Amino acid sequence: METTAPPRGIGATLRRDPAAPWRHLDGPLLGATLAIAGLGVLMVWSATRTAMADAGLDPATYLKRQLAFVVLGAVVMAVVVTIDYNSYRDFAPIGYLGALALLVLVLSPLGTEVRNAQSWFAIGSFQLQPAELAKLALIITLAACGASAGGTLDRQRLMVSLGIAGVPVALVLMQPDLGSALVLVAILAGMLVVAGTRPRHLAVLTAVAVLAVIAMFQLDLVDSYQRERLTDFARSGDTSTGSGFQSEQAETAIGAGGLFGAGLFEGTQTKLGFVPEQQTDFIFTVVGEELGFAGSATLVLLYGVIVWRVWRTAQLSRDLYGTLVCAGVLAMLLFQVFENMGMSMGLMPITGLPLPLMSYGGSSMLTTWAALGLVLNVHMRRFS
Amino acid sequence: MSGDTPRLRLSLIAVVAVSLFVALFARLWFLQVLTAGEHELAAQRNQRRAIPLPATRGRILDRNGEVLVTNRASNVVTVDRSRLRPLDKDEQETLIRRLAAVVDRPPSMLRERLDDQRLGPFTPVPVAEDVDESVLVELRERRSEFPGVEAEQTAVRAYPHGSLAAHVLGYVGAINAEELATLGSPYRPGSRIGKDGVEKTFEADLRGVDGEVVIEVDAENLPVREITRRPPVQGNDIVLSIDLEVQRVTEAALAQGMQRVRPRIEDNGQPVLGGGSAVALDVDEGTVVAMASWPTFSPAEFVYGISPRLFADLNDPARGTPFVNRAVLGTYSPGSTWKLVTAMAGLATGVITPETVFVDQGVYTIPNCGRGCSRQNAGRASYGEVALSRALTVSSDVYFYDIGAKLWQQREQVGPTPMQDMGTQLGFGTGTGVALPVEADGRIPTPERRAQLNQQNPAAFPNGDWFIGDNVNLSIGQGELAVTPIQLANAYATFATGGTRYAPNVVLRVQTPDGEVVREVPPRVAAEVQVPPEARAPIMNGLVGVTAGPDPRATAVKPFAGFPLDVYPVAGKTGTAQTGGDRRDNALFAAIAPAHDPRYALTVVMERAGFGATAAAPVARRMLGQLSGLEEPAPVTFVTGGRE
Repeated sequence: METTAPPRGIGATLRRDPAAPWRHLDGPLLGATLAIAGLGVLMVWSATRTAMADAGLDPATYLKRQLAFVVLGAVVMAVVVTIDYNSYRDFAPIGYLGALALLVLVLSPLGTEVRNAQSWFAIGSFQLQPAELAKLALIITLAACGASAGGTLDRQRLMVSLGIAGVPVALVLMQPDLGSALVLVAILAGMLVVAGTRPRHLAVLTAVAVLAVIAMFQLDLVDSYQRERLTDFARSGDTSTGSGFQSEQAETAIGAGGLFGAGLFEGTQTKLGFVPEQQTDFIFTVVGEELGFAGSATLVLLYGVIVWRVWRTAQLSRDLYGTLVCAGVLAMLLFQVFENMGMSMGLMPITGLPLPLMSYGGSSMLTTWAALGLVLNVHMRRFS
Repeated sequence: MSGDTPRLRLSLIAVVAVSLFVALFARLWFLQVLTAGEHELAAQRNQRRAIPLPATRGRILDRNGEVLVTNRASNVVTVDRSRLRPLDKDEQETLIRRLAAVVDRPPSMLRERLDDQRLGPFTPVPVAEDVDESVLVELRERRSEFPGVEAEQTAVRAYPHGSLAAHVLGYVGAINAEELATLGSPYRPGSRIGKDGVEKTFEADLRGVDGEVVIEVDAENLPVREITRRPPVQGNDIVLSIDLEVQRVTEAALAQGMQRVRPRIEDNGQPVLGGGSAVALDVDEGTVVAMASWPTFSPAEFVYGISPRLFADLNDPARGTPFVNRAVLGTYSPGSTWKLVTAMAGLATGVITPETVFVDQGVYTIPNCGRGCSRQNAGRASYGEVALSRALTVSSDVYFYDIGAKLWQQREQVGPTPMQDMGTQLGFGTGTGVALPVEADGRIPTPERRAQLNQQNPAAFPNGDWFIGDNVNLSIGQGELAVTPIQLANAYATFATGGTRYAPNVVLRVQTPDGEVVREVPPRVAAEVQVPPEARAPIMNGLVGVTAGPDPRATAVKPFAGFPLDVYPVAGKTGTAQTGGDRRDNALFAAIAPAHDPRYALTVVMERAGFGATAAAPVARRMLGQLSGLEEPAPVTFVTGGRE
């Protein structure tokens, strides 16, 4: 395995070596990823073009930027894929500490506060969200930690793992960005399960998690702002229409789509501002309203394909590290997809989380492409 | 390490993943397939708002095209109470205070308006009217700070001549639940509707057709685009038969006369302010030229709705119940003005002829009657030999008592109720059919009716028999007889036309805002009455003598002193109706002018004002001065002394 060198001539390798990584690119994963990202570009365009035109701006602004993010994401994926994933293992501590540093820095005046949360660095007209990077760093680091344990996580390593996850979770909560913190927790949970945490430890952890959630509400540790969003979701945009407005409108938008939807660009709920943040967190409502059950079910199916391929890759991985990396990515995607779609459909409380590959925004887009790059990486090198 | 452990555990993850995806699918299916219809409706309701575009109401013009009622733009701030309810007390209070500061009204006034429960819970409550344009702009800009507050320009009624002809015009107000239930479409909550006067009777012409604009709105209820627009159609103008100048003179003269009358205290201790009314009819057209009721009100004061206090004041007897149009709703004993009817009945039955002479010694003793059966002329006057004309001119009660008594004595030949029948023919006892929303019927007592009442309710009507004395009372317009001022005028008009009785019109025609005639309102003949031709001249002569003399005891010579009677003879009749007890009498005057070629009939009725000759006739003279165009408007000169 150590003999695997960065490919020199791709064509030559393909022809000669049946175990060559490039022969084992996961087509379905790549296809589903591209399909979702492409649909996302279209949906972001649909969600923003009228509002932009009304404002006298270029209606294609968001289209162009999202397209750029997708291309950039694909490039990042290509880069990630090129280097054997085991090499990342060595960079795990650096990546982890770097991510922590950024998470601290974003709380300083260097960070920018958007909607009550100091979560962003504004770099020119782009915004970088360090919490997104932290997700990747956490996956790589936890995988390294878990892999070294060799399949059963004793108490000591469990504690180390909890510590590794705990610090970024705490920092993200300080922004405060509950949604991202929950994603980090989901990553931790998924990876702990696969890394071999003992059942009784898992039971204790689950109990602690439940108690923690209860305590947070009881002891008022959750900002009223967050509590509001978690419990009744009336956001600042419209105070007069009462509680649950956002989630109700999102449901209405999706439901109004019916079987085949209103047609691309024809959604009224989403166009007329009844659903807020429709190009980011609530992008799924645009799919629901304009493409109907046919479109949204297809989208869910595409995410299903991705999750299935990631899961399959975790199984196929040549080593535990790869398996754990895939488990982390799987947990991250699964949680985000379920939470995001769930909140749009009134299944889950509203937390500000993007829909991976679909929502407008660079940080999440690049993170997701990079994460899927890691999975592709594991998949194609399963024989090397 | 066992290589299977992670894989085993991965299957746990798989189970979780599959369950979550199944949940997503199920929810998607539920929303988009099972309940899609509801959501579609909700989405449509969300984005469409139908905004009514109220039609501009037609104007009301006088017979010469002078504008009596028009419209003006007013900036009104309303509050939708249903949007306030979700707020807690403090938030509401803060909102009210901030809004009060913006509209520059005391917060207490806003609170009072918001507490007024007369409007439905979902009808926006106007809290400030006629606010500055800048307030409108400010409230629209700060919309999000004022949930449920709307600022808009609306058209309200404007009255260039103030309270002039208020009772005829009526007023416009927000439709109430009852009206809405009866009228239905195209009315809707908040519609403005004519509540009284011609605003009500000609509602259909004035209203116009409301338009509607359907707009697409966004989540903040801000318009995005217009979907459809149906422009409103302005209502038609109506041209009244009222003559602005005659109306003005009539109201001024009546008010002047009534202001001399002191408020009185009723037996039950309630203070009552007497009122008065005056009506002038065009006898050829069958229309109302002037109609005044005092005290009056100013419709401009409640174009935004009547406050409970104002409503109470307008119906307060101590203030003379200004809301009541006495010209059509006041019922009075006609007194001597009724002698026209008695005279006609006497002639028609043959009980008298114009030449029949009766010796009036000032006292009349009712035949076949016991004690208390002697009646005197007013002022204990005696007129000696009187025939019909002179009897009217001097208003000899005794002469008419005799007719009344004879009619009863000869009931076998002339029928039981010739006076009543003549009164009925001339239009008493039922509404005239004037084109106004409400009207009193008045009352003509008959033997039959009295017996009926007695039978139905002996306690309230202990006396079921009709006596000769009742006929005697009736002959001079006393007793249970009750007439409205417009009935009286219409009866004189009917006599003047020679028998055509009209249901008086108030509107001549309906025309478009550009003046194009939509329809003429034709005269409505209510009845053709037999006026014996031989009766006309002696009666008319007698009535002309009332104002012109030369009989020195003619009742209304003084009030018409200086009036150009030679070119414009006035046939008049004074009436002084007893009101019971020692209270002051009601003063009445009825007239036909010009007597040789009647054009107008008019009545003036003034409660507790004293003698018809001294109080009512001078008011009528001013009206006639204007109607004839022969006298400049001037303050009324009330005469003293006199009687009847």
